[in-house]
Amino acid sequence: MKIMNKLSSARGLALAAFAASTLIVSGCGSGSGASTVANPVTTPPTVSNYTGPAPQTADVQRFKINVWDNLVPNNRCGTCHNPSQTPRFVRSDDINLAYDAANSVVNLADPANSRMVLKVRGGHNCWLTSDDACGDIIQSYIEAWAGGALGGTGKAIQFTAPPLHDPGSSKNFPADVSATLFKTAVYDPYLHQYCVGCHKEDAAVPQSPFFASDDIDVAYAAAQKKMDLDNPANSRFVLRLGEEFHNCWAENPPTVNCAQDAALMQAGITAMANAIPATVVDPNLVTSKALKLTDGIVASSGGRQEANVIALYEFKTGTGNTAFDTSGVEPAANLTLSGTYSWVGGWGIDFTNGKAQASTTASKKLHDLIGSTGEYSIEAWVAPANVTQDGPARIISFAGSSASRNFMLGQTLYQYDFLNRTSETDQNGEPRLSTLDDDEDLQATLQHVVATYDPANGRRIYVNGKFTDDVDTVPGGLLTEWDNTFAFALASEVDNTNRWAGTARLVAIHNRALTADQIKQNFDVGVGEKYYLLFNVSDHVGKPDAYVVFEVSQFDSYSYLFRAPFFLMLDSAATPGDIPIAGIRIGVNGREASVGQAFAHVNTAISDAAYTPTGQQELSSLGTVVALEKGPTLDEFFLTFEVLGSASHVVVEASPAPPPAPLDVPRDPDYGIRDFAEINQTMSNMTGVATTQAQVKATYDAVYQALPVSTGIEGFLSSQQMGITQLAISYCSALVEDTSKRALFFPGFDFNAGVSTAFNSGAKQNQIIDPLMAKMVGANISTQPDDAATRAEVASLITLLAGCSGAQCSTNGVVKGACASVLGSAAMLVQ
Amino acid sequence: MVKVLRATPERRWSKRALLLVLTVITAFGSLAVSADERDQAKRIHDRIAGVPPDTATLNLMANAITTDPVNGAFNAALIATDDPAFYNVTLKNFVAPWTNRDQAVFVPLNDYTATVIGMVRDDVDFRNVLYGDILYTVSGVNPAYSISSNAHYEAAETQGADLKARLVGTTPQSALTGVPSSATAGVLTSRAASKAFFIDGTNRAMFRFTMMNHMCRDMEQVHDTSRVPDRIRQDVSRSPGGDARVFLNGCIGCHSGMDPLAQAFAYYNFQYDKATDPTADAGFLKYNNSGDIDAITGTRVVRKYFNNNTTFPYGYITMNDHWDNYWRHGPNEVLGWSSSLPGSGDGAKSMGMELANSDAFAECQVEKVFKNVCLRPPQDAADRAQISSMVSAFQSDNYNLRNVFAASAVYCMGQ
Repeated sequence: MKIMNKLSSARGLALAAFAASTLIVSGCGSGSGASTVANPVTTPPTVSNYTGPAPQTADVQRFKINVWDNLVPNNRCGTCHNPSQTPRFVRSDDINLAYDAANSVVNLADPANSRMVLKVRGGHNCWLTSDDACGDIIQSYIEAWAGGALGGTGKAIQFTAPPLHDPGSSKNFPADVSATLFKTAVYDPYLHQYCVGCHKEDAAVPQSPFFASDDIDVAYAAAQKKMDLDNPANSRFVLRLGEEFHNCWAENPPTVNCAQDAALMQAGITAMANAIPATVVDPNLVTSKALKLTDGIVASSGGRQEANVIALYEFKTGTGNTAFDTSGVEPAANLTLSGTYSWVGGWGIDFTNGKAQASTTASKKLHDLIGSTGEYSIEAWVAPANVTQDGPARIISFAGSSASRNFMLGQTLYQYDFLNRTSETDQNGEPRLSTLDDDEDLQATLQHVVATYDPANGRRIYVNGKFTDDVDTVPGGLLTEWDNTFAFALASEVDNTNRWAGTARLVAIHNRALTADQIKQNFDVGVGEKYYLLFNVSDHVGKPDAYVVFEVSQFDSYSYLFRAPFFLMLDSAATPGDIPIAGIRIGVNGREASVGQAFAHVNTAISDAAYTPTGQQELSSLGTVVALEKGPTLDEFFLTFEVLGSASHVVVEASPAPPPAPLDVPRDPDYGIRDFAEINQTMSNMTGVATTQAQVKATYDAVYQALPVSTGIEGFLSSQQMGITQLAISYCSALVEDTSKRALFFPGFDFNAGVSTAFNSGAKQNQIIDPLMAKMVGANISTQPDDAATRAEVASLITLLAGCSGAQCSTNGVVKGACASVLGSAAMLVQ
Repeated sequence: MVKVLRATPERRWSKRALLLVLTVITAFGSLAVSADERDQAKRIHDRIAGVPPDTATLNLMANAITTDPVNGAFNAALIATDDPAFYNVTLKNFVAPWTNRDQAVFVPLNDYTATVIGMVRDDVDFRNVLYGDILYTVSGVNPAYSISSNAHYEAAETQGADLKARLVGTTPQSALTGVPSSATAGVLTSRAASKAFFIDGTNRAMFRFTMMNHMCRDMEQVHDTSRVPDRIRQDVSRSPGGDARVFLNGCIGCHSGMDPLAQAFAYYNFQYDKATDPTADAGFLKYNNSGDIDAITGTRVVRKYFNNNTTFPYGYITMNDHWDNYWRHGPNEVLGWSSSLPGSGDGAKSMGMELANSDAFAECQVEKVFKNVCLRPPQDAADRAQISSMVSAFQSDNYNLRNVFAASAVYCMGQ
């Protein structure tokens, strides 16, 4: 057995005594049938006035404050374990005797494994609708007690040998639902028949997962996690009916028969499973033994700084419409879920258009407890669904309306917004503190965000353990303006406006401003339940109890996180010798995962020198995500190795097939048009006017973006012709106005002649047309415009223009027009 | 043709211009007729230089085609490459979109563009575009080249400088920029590319745009989820929006191959003063030499490689500029990586060599030229056979890109 130290949990004093109302609870049960849902208890327990002998030690005193005071009321454990039933750990006659009794049912080194916690978690008289929530609350009491008793020396992780299983053949769900009997064997006869009232997106009160959806693909995806193909009797669908009597139906009216319904469901899943061939593990692989997530050793989730937590939501329930406040601080501000939401694997709730809200009565504790300190922290692990929502979209709000609040943590695109009502702000907590837009601190991924407030430092926002450096310009004020009738809510304003889309995996409210170190500590601990999976490799390394160990957690509803593998031998006296190890891959349900094999390049050697005194050798510091297939209780994992000890399996990747030839398509026209720059240079070449000539350049700069950019002739636009015309006129104008250039270009033409005489013969007109044709159209080129037709057209234009009169009528103008008509034509443009 | 000339209500042509163009276009009924050598010569010149030939050049080229049925057309095409417009117009606009993120052609002349033009003019092995210690400036232009300004090239453009005559590439890039010769990587380390792709961000842009511009593949075309994702940095969310399927089906396909290659740029950053120079006009490429230790990373790695490193803390932490090409195996093996190279190395120069020596690089250059000259992409088996032939010739002809222009123009000169 190996022991690995971890930081101890530091859950602090339970602040249970601030309220005084009472409630007698008549029914605490462990049944989970839908027809026996009990209203959650939201009022605090009765607190006894202890009058017996004084605590003999400081530890007894800590026990009294943290455990006894919380459990002695008669709506907790006091009804039975005070006067008569052993162990009498809440007896009120002598706190020291109660302390002795409690020690027989708690494990201060590992509070989660305390008999008291396990008993309640197993369904023993829980006062809430979730046994786990009751277990968590009692665990928090014991951790608070242990935090002192352990003196902060840390909690131990004990590595023990897991059960040994060879990776088995496993049946896997085909990707295409049509390849299965799901529809005919399970969906049509049962799910879509009897579960459609709730487990459907558009049900009156939609309950995820939506395995009764009208969309068969949606239903198939949701149902996979509820069916065990390898052992249909272990399917959640079957157990839910047969053992938990969840909404059974009357197959043969009028009798409701859960056993019969379970048998039918099992038969349907069995029929479906029988039609799916098993995936057989490749015998050539070098494999470890196999494990399921539940075979793992729970890694400590302790180490969180929760000394002053007054509301805590870990979203462990996984079903129903209540998110429990497991802070242990009464009254529990449990949240009622409404709208569109779904529970997330690995703890959490995904809000798409939903809300989680506490009653105003229970929310009042936040007002009271924060009011007593004048400072607080909002801590959350959230994954915003996108970076486009604003409003701000309310992630966490303690408000009366969308314009009146005590505090709010919100999202505006890439920014976190923190509104806090003080004597220095308005009733809405404005002006807000927002993270800098350019920093894009908010990302659509799982983030740890903490907003703290205290009068000295004002508001501060920390993301993923780091202060965002955004300084609060509003001076610190008092919280005396807070309203004790407001309600605490997640993912929405209390008036159902400004919804926030995203996943919340943990929310905690502290009535102290957490320090930077404490925030970093909580970020480092992470979120969700983590396991150590010990993959036995003794067969290959020749050492007993030798393991490659991964820390594994469910990362979200669709994946697992595997990280930081190390080699371990349970025998603390053993040494590994030299063991080469390379190419570690993760296997899931009989085959290597096709995506996410981040450890495939591991290539190292386990050696005595590298093996640490604590009995480990790190193999990689990386982590990777692997797709979830059947669900955390069904997926079976194993490891494969390219090299492990003397065993090896050479992975040879086949060369890909050459890509098929693209399909032939009709050819585009093999002629096109010149682009903007080509037009400019062509006009320059044709006229002899430089592109840098001032007038020309000014025109080009004005019109170049209107000229063609693409050379495809089919994209030619009339607006482009307008640009071409302007540029052509500019070039021709520059040519005609330059006496030496025009003399060279139009030899023999008399520019000084009047309009009426300059063009009054065919010969004179040809003095203009001939050079234009020679330099702009070319001779003896069959793809250019027809020579005679073009000449006739230009001559016609000259005749037309020469018939002008008035001040604007000039010989130069007619020549410019004739020049531009050719220069701006397709003779220049088309190539 | 009617479609081309259609006037829309909001964009009416002048009656005169419309009449003339209609007349001229009508005359193009002769396009269907086989062109003779003069037509072929004109088209070759049009396509290569972007401008029609003058009469003398047309006659010279047509004569070359007539007198030598085997090589005449190619020789005629080479004559066309002597036209200054081939450099000032065709090549400038051919390259300009590669030099900016918007892929805009309306950008000023810069050192990236000038260098490619110079390499084509001088028949430099075009692979050097991704790894050479090479840079072209324009002679006789003030101001001189500067690592913190593009004014030199803008002045040359304003003056209408004849790039064919005045480009100078005799001074190595390293001598002009101060970046060590071993850290130069052709145009990748030019100021223009640095300003466009090393600015801010994570330097992945340099890799992506190099793939787009010189391998003719954006990330979607090399997407492969089966590669080992051990080099994906910490800034890539493994569960975007809380859904790991997005990562496992999407992000991982690009990042698993891109991140280990883009690690080659780990010592580069385009440095500028955001407060006083928000458009980075006075920015410059900063390369971390040995001894230049970044305060954030504690190594020569620039701090942008540690951006958002808490997004997935178990991701890869960049410690140096060692790169690996994971795409040598799997579906992207078809890019034709050189068997004479190791597929890994240190820094941008060797990574540039890895890309430039692939078949995909040669194919990309040829296809780009083909499209530029023929005004269409390869569209049928005959086109693809021509591409294949030109790729082989390009690779065996010292990667001479000017000859690819000539060969493409000959293929598309008409019958």
